[in-house]
Amino acid sequence: MPFMFMIPPSLLRNSLLYVLQKNYTILKEEDIQERQFEDITKISTVLSIPREAACILLRRYNWSVNNVHEEWFADEENVRRAVGILETPVVKALNFKEVSCGICFERYTINKLRTLACSHLFCDTCWKAYISTSINDGPGCLVLRCPEPCCGAALGQDMIDKLASHEDKEKYRRYLLRSYVEDSRKIKWCPAPGCDSAVEYVVGSGSYDVTCNCSYSFCWNCAEEAHRPVDCETVAKWVLKNSAESENMNWILANSKPCPKCKRPIEKNQGCMHMTCTPPCKFEFCWLCLGQWSEHGERTGGFYACNRYEAAKQEGVYDDAERRREMAKNSLERYTHYYERWASNQSLEKLSEVHSQPESQLKFVIEAWQQIVECRRVLKWTYAYGYYLPEVEHTKKQFFEYLQGEAEAGLERLHQCAEKELMNYLNSEGPSKDFNDFRTKLAGLTSVTRNYFENLVRALENGLSDVDSQAVCNKMSSKTAAGTSKSKGGRGKGSSKTGTSVRNADDSGSWACDKCTYMNARSAAACQVCNHRN
Amino acid sequence: MSGGITLGRLTEERKAWRKNHPHGFVARPETSSDGTVNLMVWHCLIPGKANTDWEGGFYPLTMHFSEDYPSKPPKCKFPPNFFHPNIYPSGTVCLSILSEDSGWRPAISVKQVLIGIQDLLDQPNPSDPAQTDGYHLFMQQPEEYRSRVRQQAKQYPSPV
Repeated sequence: MPFMFMIPPSLLRNSLLYVLQKNYTILKEEDIQERQFEDITKISTVLSIPREAACILLRRYNWSVNNVHEEWFADEENVRRAVGILETPVVKALNFKEVSCGICFERYTINKLRTLACSHLFCDTCWKAYISTSINDGPGCLVLRCPEPCCGAALGQDMIDKLASHEDKEKYRRYLLRSYVEDSRKIKWCPAPGCDSAVEYVVGSGSYDVTCNCSYSFCWNCAEEAHRPVDCETVAKWVLKNSAESENMNWILANSKPCPKCKRPIEKNQGCMHMTCTPPCKFEFCWLCLGQWSEHGERTGGFYACNRYEAAKQEGVYDDAERRREMAKNSLERYTHYYERWASNQSLEKLSEVHSQPESQLKFVIEAWQQIVECRRVLKWTYAYGYYLPEVEHTKKQFFEYLQGEAEAGLERLHQCAEKELMNYLNSEGPSKDFNDFRTKLAGLTSVTRNYFENLVRALENGLSDVDSQAVCNKMSSKTAAGTSKSKGGRGKGSSKTGTSVRNADDSGSWACDKCTYMNARSAAACQVCNHRN
Repeated sequence: MSGGITLGRLTEERKAWRKNHPHGFVARPETSSDGTVNLMVWHCLIPGKANTDWEGGFYPLTMHFSEDYPSKPPKCKFPPNFFHPNIYPSGTVCLSILSEDSGWRPAISVKQVLIGIQDLLDQPNPSDPAQTDGYHLFMQQPEEYRSRVRQQAKQYPSPV
């Protein structure tokens, strides 16, 4: 059963063809600003409307130039009304009649008052207070309208520039910048603390793992740290499970639900089931089934009930009892096993990060350490993967544990070499003659480990699909399967006692180690990397 | 700065109210025992409209103005457990024009707020309920609902 000893050949082939192409772009703040500026210019030119109007339009359509074009040309009048960009303001003859400001009721001459395109007049003091309150209330200021009841005229950046304080202008600018990233479907902020870059991702282009210029690797989809081979859903479950111990999280879990659209936790304190998320999200939904509110109302049982929720509950979708059963099955011990390993890899990962500071300019050492950091992360997540691998999938579980064990051993070898053996060279005085050997060894280990982990990740992401096809074969030798890494059984091993005859040799005479898959020179008797004798 | 606007506006509101206000309504700033006036809290009475089940009742409402008024709406409260589909159990009125996030505009006057609430009394908004009791009776047992409303009207007789 050769598959027990190495990664299936199909996966190896894939790995050779696998070309690393970047499916994302890192954007610095200047880049974001530039893009935003360009988009506004485009809309403003094409629709021949002022920049502030173009900005309001773009924000409304999530900064998609295409969507703005589509909607505008389909029904300009309707879009104007919805967004609040009124046609050219009514021109009024300036006279010096006294009129009262609609907010403070003080009387002013008309030329002292200011209006949007709607010609509702207010004094500068009141405008300033109105704008300042709104900006300090949050990003809702980006959709500010005239202070007159029922007037839809939008207030744009031109008014902000004229009337807001320096500090408020800066806040407004930040909200606008954030909106460009946060409302866009293609860009997300790097979640690393203190990093203000964003990452634009080509949606639908494969792996979500991205690495920001700040060197933080994260999953573009769920914004957790990079977590291949585990999918986002599992990660969310796992993270939630780990934090479920904390009181805060318990409280949030027990008392809030995430907004179905923006995912912010919402606590409901009173009123009916019709929920409206706070601006800028404003998503309206049903508290019970979390479905869109527009599909609710009398048909679904009114404001204090929800037929859909009740029906789904009957079918057991929200069955608490079932969840409890599941919890019991995943006994605490089992969880602890996986959690401890996950956590210890986390601490090693941290340790590695500390050491990965360039203590030396030797590139191969840095590469080795970067590889260690990455592998620690992957290894860490394989424990979450293992935890969620169904108990019934016996064969898969065994195979998975084998692969994981090998990964761990391989990584230990690399770590050992990069840390302990490196020390000898760091502490030695003057150049050492076997340093070149060390370089070859460490570089070799790095590349072997990288390959192994890449294959591992892909195998796990495929749900270990190769296992099924081999299930029969595996069943036959299920006794040996448990201890494969130290296996005495297996065809190849039987003959290996008599000599070194059986090898996975290729035409050039070099051979792949069947333990770690490293390609050794023909002359090597034992694997150069893991010292395994085939 | 905003404090200036708040008090100035409330002074103007008070002047405008004294000059002219709708019949049967009362709205006056709180006066403490030593005679000082607190413009930030107003005690009001809203009469139930004639020819409705609310007729005959004079419903006490307190308006709390914050320092952000008129940028932010006043908080309007009936007594706790006031019976009406759109009044929270705490007594707070749930009305679009009083909502910070959507309906409020600084140009809405005290008079408009009070008239808006009077309209709400006999025309509840079933798409935005705030209490179970009032909402369910209103939707399912209109007769019982009306009788509860008439009963409540008797609890709040004319002050004079």
